[in-house]
Amino acid sequence: MKAFWTRVILAPLYDLGQHALASLSGLIGMLVLIVFGLIVGWIAKEIIYRVLRALRFDRLCDRLGVGQVVERTGMARSSSYLAGQVVQGLIILSTLLAGLNELGTPLTRNLVDRFFLYLPHLLASLLVLIGGALVSRFLSRSVLIAAVNAQMPSARLLSGLTRFFVMALTVVAALDELGISRTTIIVTFAILFGGIVTAAAIAMGLGARDLARDLLQSQFRPKVRPEAEDPMRHL
Amino acid sequence: MGVELLEHQVQEKLSAMGGAEIIVGIPSYNNADTIGQVVRVALEGLQKYFPARRALIVNSDGGSKDRTVQAIDPAHLNTPMILSVSHPLYPMHHLTTPYHGLPGRGSAYQTLLHIAELAQAQALALVDADLRSLTPEWFDLLLRPVLDREFDFVAPYYKRHKFNGAITNSIVYPLTRALYGRRVHQQIGGEFGISRRLASRFLQGKVWSTDVAQYGIDIWMTTTTIAENYKICQSYLGAKLHGLKDPGPNLGSTLMQVVGSVFGLMETYDSVWCNVLGSLPAPLFGVPFEVGVETVPMNLGRMLASYQQGVRDLLPVYQSIISPAQLEGLKAVAALPEEEFALSDELWVAVIYDFSLGYHRRVIDREHLVRSLTPLYLGWVASFMRQAEYDTAAQVEARIEKLCLVFEQLKPYLLNQWPLQTGEKRSAS
Repeated sequence: MKAFWTRVILAPLYDLGQHALASLSGLIGMLVLIVFGLIVGWIAKEIIYRVLRALRFDRLCDRLGVGQVVERTGMARSSSYLAGQVVQGLIILSTLLAGLNELGTPLTRNLVDRFFLYLPHLLASLLVLIGGALVSRFLSRSVLIAAVNAQMPSARLLSGLTRFFVMALTVVAALDELGISRTTIIVTFAILFGGIVTAAAIAMGLGARDLARDLLQSQFRPKVRPEAEDPMRHL
Repeated sequence: MGVELLEHQVQEKLSAMGGAEIIVGIPSYNNADTIGQVVRVALEGLQKYFPARRALIVNSDGGSKDRTVQAIDPAHLNTPMILSVSHPLYPMHHLTTPYHGLPGRGSAYQTLLHIAELAQAQALALVDADLRSLTPEWFDLLLRPVLDREFDFVAPYYKRHKFNGAITNSIVYPLTRALYGRRVHQQIGGEFGISRRLASRFLQGKVWSTDVAQYGIDIWMTTTTIAENYKICQSYLGAKLHGLKDPGPNLGSTLMQVVGSVFGLMETYDSVWCNVLGSLPAPLFGVPFEVGVETVPMNLGRMLASYQQGVRDLLPVYQSIISPAQLEGLKAVAALPEEEFALSDELWVAVIYDFSLGYHRRVIDREHLVRSLTPLYLGWVASFMRQAEYDTAAQVEARIEKLCLVFEQLKPYLLNQWPLQTGEKRSAS
């Protein structure tokens, strides 16, 4: 009877206790790593923020137009602070993943492996987005200044459209890099562009031919070609 | 043309004529209509005013396609006094039309300065090949101060319609005068007199392979002369009339080339102009006689509309360049009706100083910055024309003088914000 009691009740309970202890140590290890990550992340953020501020990183970002984006979206109080926060987030994420790995379950190991395989795509799409934002800003400002100097009434519209299309292309490229609904996005984009072009063609070619002509003339043709007809010698 | 070939050609000519004390340089590109007359007048001027001095007229051509070189009278070309050479013109020189209409002007000037140095000439006169108002007296006025009065640089002083030359009168002249303390009215021109020692200095500059050589060589030469304390004077040449040419670049590009060059030189010479307050006149040679000038039709409505649209649509751009107080002032002016439209000198000067500071700090792309000045500049021109519509030429001169004084008075506004290198001190001289 005693042997039966030991085999059926005590032994499984003992094994359960052993497993619980092993899991608990993994859990404690994970918590320690996360706390460590939080502390190191906070310290790293403060150091990076202060060093970048001393190196006038904010001024550089303002010149590139990144500073205004940060300010307008309310992401952080400054570009230096945002850079510190990004590093802090990466450190916390790394320690969290290391902690999950510490648990040693197939699920968490699989999750960590997949994350690290995905990381290069994430960074590449981030770079594409940053590059696209800078290019769209530069091009839209070029268009705006040129259109205002030519006294085109729709200068801001042209500038806004330039920014929109460059950013749309950028987002498509970034999502494509991430592999998110690749086919759907490309098809949607193609349909969108195709729709715009078709609508414009129909408007001009059929029902609203005169209206489209008048609209385009009033919007895009300056009343006077100021620089071509400028009679002054400015120098 | 290779340097060795050029040297050989020049040496051959110089030994044939026994050296040259004076060089007259005529850079050209597609000037077949006018070059023959320019060379004839140059010969006449040299024979009339410098008969005892050995002189060489050099035409440096940038590969004209209209047979410019052949347009020079062969009888003249065969005299020992005339030499025809060519300067290199690269595809980049054709990408943008320079405001002076001569692609590769920097390359031409470098060639002519090099020839003057090879000849060890005492004086070099540069004149444009498209001039229709050139007279023999111009050579006396450009060369005499160098040869007899030991001046290093003779800048031109033209007679113009009261509303022509607005970029010069509203930005270039008052700004450079306030910065460097010398009242040289015409920084932008194609006619200069240069001494041997200054020609050597110009050739040592690293400017010849830069955009400044292509677009702002005249401003660079004048500014270098003043900033480096060479002796400068002006000569009154009367009206300057050009031959009919293709239209020049648009206003935005002209501003980019001219104002961009002035702003760029502010960085080169900031240690010089930070120590200058006030200004001194530059001696003026020649008699300011009255001449007929081209008239300028006024189109205030168009300029006003450009200004109002600029202040409205370019506001986000201006917010990164212009200080809030000045921006409020510009907005208030934009709201005025046409008959009351007036942009004060103080506001205009502060705006120009803000643009120069923005250029230096690179608050936005530099080309964007200078091009965005166009509507504000047109606003200033409209305001100036409206106020000076019935003024005589002398009264307009007085208005420009008043603007210059405001530039000088507000210079501390610029100085207080211009970031200097450590160790440099500001003091009034």
